[in-house]
Amino acid sequence: MNDLVSVVHAALRMSTPIVYAALGGLIAEGAGVVNIGIEGIMLAGAFVCLVAAWLSGSLWLAALAAGAAGAVLSVLFALLAVRMRANPVVVGLGLNGLVAGGIAYIMQVYFKVRGAFAPPGVTGLPRWDLGPLAKVPFLGPVLSGHTPLVYLAGVTAVATWLILYRTRFGLWLRAAGEEPEAARAAGIPVPRVQTLALVLCGVITAIGGIQLSLGDLTRFNEGMTSGRGFIALAAYYFGQRQPGPTVAAAGLFGFFQALQIRLQSTGYPPQLVQTLPYLIVVLTLSLIAWRRLAIQRRWQRAALQRYRTDAPGH
Amino acid sequence: MAEPTASPPAPSPSHWRTQLALATAWSTGVTFAGALALTALVLWLTGQPVFGTFALMLRTALGSKVGLADTLLQATPLILCGLACAVSFRAGVFNVGVEGALYLGAFAAAWTGFTFVGLGRLPLIAACLVAAAVVGALWLAVPAALKAYLDVDEVVSTLMLNYVALSVTSYLVNYPFRAPGLANSMSPAVAEQARLTRLLPPSQLNASLILALLLTLAVAWMFGRTRLGVSIRTLGNNPRFARVMGIPVPRLMVLTMLLSGAIGGLAGGSQVLGVNYRFIDGFSPGWGFDGITITLLARHNPWGILVTALVFGMLRNGGGMIQVFSKVPISIVDILQAAVILLVTAQVAVPSLRRATS
Repeated sequence: MNDLVSVVHAALRMSTPIVYAALGGLIAEGAGVVNIGIEGIMLAGAFVCLVAAWLSGSLWLAALAAGAAGAVLSVLFALLAVRMRANPVVVGLGLNGLVAGGIAYIMQVYFKVRGAFAPPGVTGLPRWDLGPLAKVPFLGPVLSGHTPLVYLAGVTAVATWLILYRTRFGLWLRAAGEEPEAARAAGIPVPRVQTLALVLCGVITAIGGIQLSLGDLTRFNEGMTSGRGFIALAAYYFGQRQPGPTVAAAGLFGFFQALQIRLQSTGYPPQLVQTLPYLIVVLTLSLIAWRRLAIQRRWQRAALQRYRTDAPGH
Repeated sequence: MAEPTASPPAPSPSHWRTQLALATAWSTGVTFAGALALTALVLWLTGQPVFGTFALMLRTALGSKVGLADTLLQATPLILCGLACAVSFRAGVFNVGVEGALYLGAFAAAWTGFTFVGLGRLPLIAACLVAAAVVGALWLAVPAALKAYLDVDEVVSTLMLNYVALSVTSYLVNYPFRAPGLANSMSPAVAEQARLTRLLPPSQLNASLILALLLTLAVAWMFGRTRLGVSIRTLGNNPRFARVMGIPVPRLMVLTMLLSGAIGGLAGGSQVLGVNYRFIDGFSPGWGFDGITITLLARHNPWGILVTALVFGMLRNGGGMIQVFSKVPISIVDILQAAVILLVTAQVAVPSLRRATS
């Protein structure tokens, strides 16, 4: 029981950056731009907020700086992928490389360190104690004692759903993603909608990065996102591009990560658990495609049947 | 009586080929110049020597026999990965799974090399390379079939499978095949006779460069002179036309991805047999992804891939040295390379031609 509590507690903590990145990626994907640059944007968020917290001493300014970094990178992404019609997958790869290389460069030139950066005197995010609620069996200890970002992840998920399904912008966004030609014909400024979606994606993803460098630890390691951006990608594909299921998928993958760390101490190979999110996604996509094909075939058969029975002369 | 004016001769196919080659060279040059300018800006803004850095890189990468050999050494996996990506990209299949095929191919070569130690030199090397190619091809067979028969997006499936390949090989060399007595996670070493000949001894440059050159020739011949190549190009240029022409589209898609996986597997295998002599956990610095950039820059032209891979190899080799001889971090090369990737598919240079490749 105690084991389960601590694993689920860790799962919530570890799924948080994935939830943010998955929601961000979902928004970009919804607008029709696949953004694998979320890996790099998350890394940038983690780095910038730590530097900002160190320089200013304010966590608010740190969060603001991370969000701004995410926005700037997203504008660059949008400029290339939307305005200059570059292939978004390639731009995403380039953005990830640029961020990783740029951070390593900055660390070495300005902070004279390589690999990791741990400035002294930075206080990380506070852990919120839920007070009397923490006494509730199981749920209390699982939910209590997290950084504000963990709780804010839920708010962000609801906000994402509201934006996508209850605002005009969300309608435009989905139209731009599903039928860009029709959306353009209907007078929707598709490039502008996509750019805005990407910026939103960048800000949310970068905020998620804060959890890595000011939440779990107060330091930055090169490559500390270690594929979380791609797990986020897997999460929203597994969640079939719906905010609710996406958050659930991100939670599941966070649970895998927590489980893997726990199993490591028992000597179980962690690498095999690491493959799970990716295998699940390939499997899900295949099942969806297979079902789509089956439905298509059934329609075709039904149409043929109707033609045979209704057509004159038969 | 006026003589009938001779109409200008109709442009020959070779004329168009020259034009296309020039356009490719031009846009590749523009992309590269843009990336160099951005890198120079970064250096200048952060108070580092701009020309000094580039000059140092060029001097170390090309200035000596060893430097040149190391440049070729760095270029070898890049040539192979560029070709691997080109084969499927040219057919319009956006396969980003070469990195995964590279890892599994490398492991297959290493396993063959440390298991069948009783074989002679040539049979063992051949067996290792065949194993690498076959395993690489089989690895991409799954996303290939999913793409061809179920229309599952190959970008997502191959991207995801890269991470599976990385984890699976990492598991293999950490648990069942871990070399005893070594601190790092790596497989046992391959047999002496499986190791490829070094070409210029102080450098690790080895016979896999020859393999890369032969494959460049083979892919160029395949694209230009065979039915398969014409079918691939037709499919890449216009899938609907290809279908109407009676080209078996799903089967061809699978075939191109199998070829791509085989070449990617060879890239990994040749690194094991030529440089590392064993499988090392996470040994690739992203060659499979660099292959994407290289083939896009070269517009899937094998000879263009050769040239582009050499330039990238030069950057990698020169970058390694600037860290030693100046205060400029090696990550400036990552920045330069990322700038190339960011710009490579952007429609800046020759818009009318861009559409065909993206």
